[in-house]
Amino acid sequence: MSVTLDNALLESEEHRTLRSCVAALGRRYGREYFTAAVRAGRQTDELWREAAKLGYLGVNLPEQYGGGGGGMTELSIVLEELGATGCPLLLLVVSPAICGTVIARFGTEAQRAHWLPGLADGSVRMAFGITEPDAGSNSHRITTTARRDGDDWLLSGRKVFISGVDIADATLIVGRTEDARTGKLKPCLFIVPRETAGFEFRPIPMELAAPEKQFQLFLDDVRLPADALVGDEDAGLLQLFAGLNPERIMTAAFSLGMGRYALDTAVEYARTRQVWQAPIGAHQAIAHPLAQVRIELELAQLMMRKAAFLYDNGDDMGAGEAANMAKYAAAEAGAHAVDQAVHTLGGNGLTTEYGLASLLTASRVGRIAPVSREMILNFVSHHTLGLPKSY
Amino acid sequence: MSLRIVVAVKYVPDATGDRHFAEDLTTDRDAVDGLLSELDEYAVEQALQIAEEADDAEITVLTVGPEDAKDALRKALSMGADQAVHVEDDALHGTDALGTSLVLAKAIEHTGYDLVVCGMASTDGTMGVLPAMLAERLGVPQVTLLSEVKVEDGKVTGRRDGDAASEQLEAQLPAVVSVTDQSGEARYPSFKGIMAAKKKKVESLDLSDLGIEEDEVGLAGAWTKVDSAAERPARTAGTIVTDEGEGGKQLAAFLAEQKFI
Ligand SMILES: Cc1cc2nc3c(=O)[nH]c(=O)nc-3n(C[C@H](O)[C@H](O)[C@H](O)COP(=O)(O)OP(=O)(O)OC[C@H]3O[C@@H](n4cnc5c(N)ncnc54)[C@H](O)[C@@H]3O)c2cc1C
Ligand SMILES: Cc1cc2nc3c(=O)[nH]c(=O)nc-3n(C[C@H](O)[C@H](O)[C@H](O)COP(=O)(O)OP(=O)(O)OC[C@H]3O[C@@H](n4cnc5c(N)ncnc54)[C@H](O)[C@@H]3O)c2cc1C
Repeated sequence: MSVTLDNALLESEEHRTLRSCVAALGRRYGREYFTAAVRAGRQTDELWREAAKLGYLGVNLPEQYGGGGGGMTELSIVLEELGATGCPLLLLVVSPAICGTVIARFGTEAQRAHWLPGLADGSVRMAFGITEPDAGSNSHRITTTARRDGDDWLLSGRKVFISGVDIADATLIVGRTEDARTGKLKPCLFIVPRETAGFEFRPIPMELAAPEKQFQLFLDDVRLPADALVGDEDAGLLQLFAGLNPERIMTAAFSLGMGRYALDTAVEYARTRQVWQAPIGAHQAIAHPLAQVRIELELAQLMMRKAAFLYDNGDDMGAGEAANMAKYAAAEAGAHAVDQAVHTLGGNGLTTEYGLASLLTASRVGRIAPVSREMILNFVSHHTLGLPKSY
Repeated sequence: MSLRIVVAVKYVPDATGDRHFAEDLTTDRDAVDGLLSELDEYAVEQALQIAEEADDAEITVLTVGPEDAKDALRKALSMGADQAVHVEDDALHGTDALGTSLVLAKAIEHTGYDLVVCGMASTDGTMGVLPAMLAERLGVPQVTLLSEVKVEDGKVTGRRDGDAASEQLEAQLPAVVSVTDQSGEARYPSFKGIMAAKKKKVESLDLSDLGIEEDEVGLAGAWTKVDSAAERPARTAGTIVTDEGEGGKQLAAFLAEQKFI
């Protein structure tokens, strides 16, 4: 049917085309390619480069700097569709979404000109480091500190669970300025190139079958030039908030993609696997939970698109609540999808061959990062429902 | 002067869908989603490469097909073609290859061309005859089934790979060529291409615009008539030979039984 109702609820023709093009690209690589890379300890660079060349990785960045001039709507489509083919690119969550957004919105003209073209064409990748050993859910406790030394900054502190530091040209580090040590959170964002002296990173062994690793960072009087500070010293909190919505929207896209991949695998299996007379997909005990998963994924996707729509239209506040809800819903739907998919495959659900078992851990990430399920429920309790705080 | 390239692209039912015949024995196009014929993506790709080599070229993608065939045009536009022509008319329902070639030829003449690029065959009809018919109707040379194609100095040259030999062919422009699936992987639309496609011009034409009478096309005008059509029987499960020492013999016996050996 050719009725086109282009609005926020129903995707425009361009968005549908983008979906199908990204999906076609992802399918050409496929899950095999992804798992082979993980097994060999390689990155999925060929896919990254090809998607980059087509402009898919910088869709959200300003055209003036080589980006696509779109927004989170488009970038979340890219990640979701790649994920649905079994080939997610985790760094899209941080590199173009958080770092690209923060620099585009708050960077100086020189910073934009220096970093954005590379982030837009995928030739440069940037990681994002906020979590610390004692500041995960409670990011007010960040102690990574920057001191002035002449025109330079000296940055010291520790970070944990920072994704992709080894393959990123730089990491956007959230610290705070020294004189603000006791007062309220006054964060400052610094761009730290990977090879900077005093910047050390060590991989954390993780049970995630993913090409991208997580790292512990040790910053020991890392000397940075004045222009390593993004924008100006007082805009840190605003910058941080600007990056958080894209991060949540992209985490939702990541969970949705994985959930769809798991569901597709399960449905295909249920259609053909025959234990008694009919394929197992004919048993409602198998079919209904899969149908339920499909509904949950669909609903979460709709919420993600609402969040992206609000964000792209400049409503940061409205987007905040929607992005949190979308991240929550997508993480739950994704985890449920994987759980149900594994079960649908019986013993094969746990074999290496079918590749679903490793998603059991991977699908939990969306419940923990970048904010845990509980912190979102706290946010909705306090912010949306107006209930009192316990902390 | 700019090189005018027209690429004929067909909108076909998705081959992964459940395809059926309608009551009048034509393909039931409403039942399954359609898309740009994969084999025509190669034609678009070659046209784009020729245009990139030329100083000044303009690519028009042309389709004859129902309303939804616009999707095929958009896809080609997002890959990089400059504009599109869509011939759509209710009277076209059931048109055969001869009729389709008439409509395409008129539309190509209407648009103006130096080079017409076709796919090797559609993925639904798969007759592979249209490029030849088009050349005949347009009265220009045909250089078909090329796995390599170039335009230089007012000539089109290319290589046709056969089973026993490869032929190097050339023709003076204007000409009609068709390219095979060996001509080089078609590009994916870039994000910019997708966004730009919407703003590109799509000209809609009907039969009267092209000066074609209704009775020259459609089921009534067709030179061929489908008397009956039957669905291919569903594929059976197949025989699995488990090798427990006698696997080779069993395989040979199976092949002999099917008269393969
Ligand atoms: C795979 C992966 C990749 C990551 N990548 C990055 C990255 O690139 N950059 C980055 O900066 N960080 C990254 N992180 C870190 C991630 O953001 C943190 O793990 C997350 O914020 C949770 O912090 P935590 O681990 O310190 O848990 P904690 O804060 O210690 O929480 C532990 C548990 O207590 C619960 N809890 C805490 N406070 C409350 C409360 N008030 N009410 C109810 N429950 C509460 C939490 O919900 C959680 O279940 C990554 C993590 C993972 C697992
Ligand atoms: C509106 C409409 C309704 C039709 N209904 C029926 C039907 O009900 N039943 C049925 O059997 N057939 C139907 N046809 C198909 C028609 O018979 C075929 O298009 C024609 O026979 C060409 O054969 P082919 O597809 O095998 O082309 P081929 O000769 O295999 O195609 C070779 C190349 O010619 C070009 N080409 C072919 N068709 C088109 C096209 N339509 N537009 C642009 N370029 C093209 C492409 O470049 C293609 O790669 C219909 C066509 C139209 C337009």
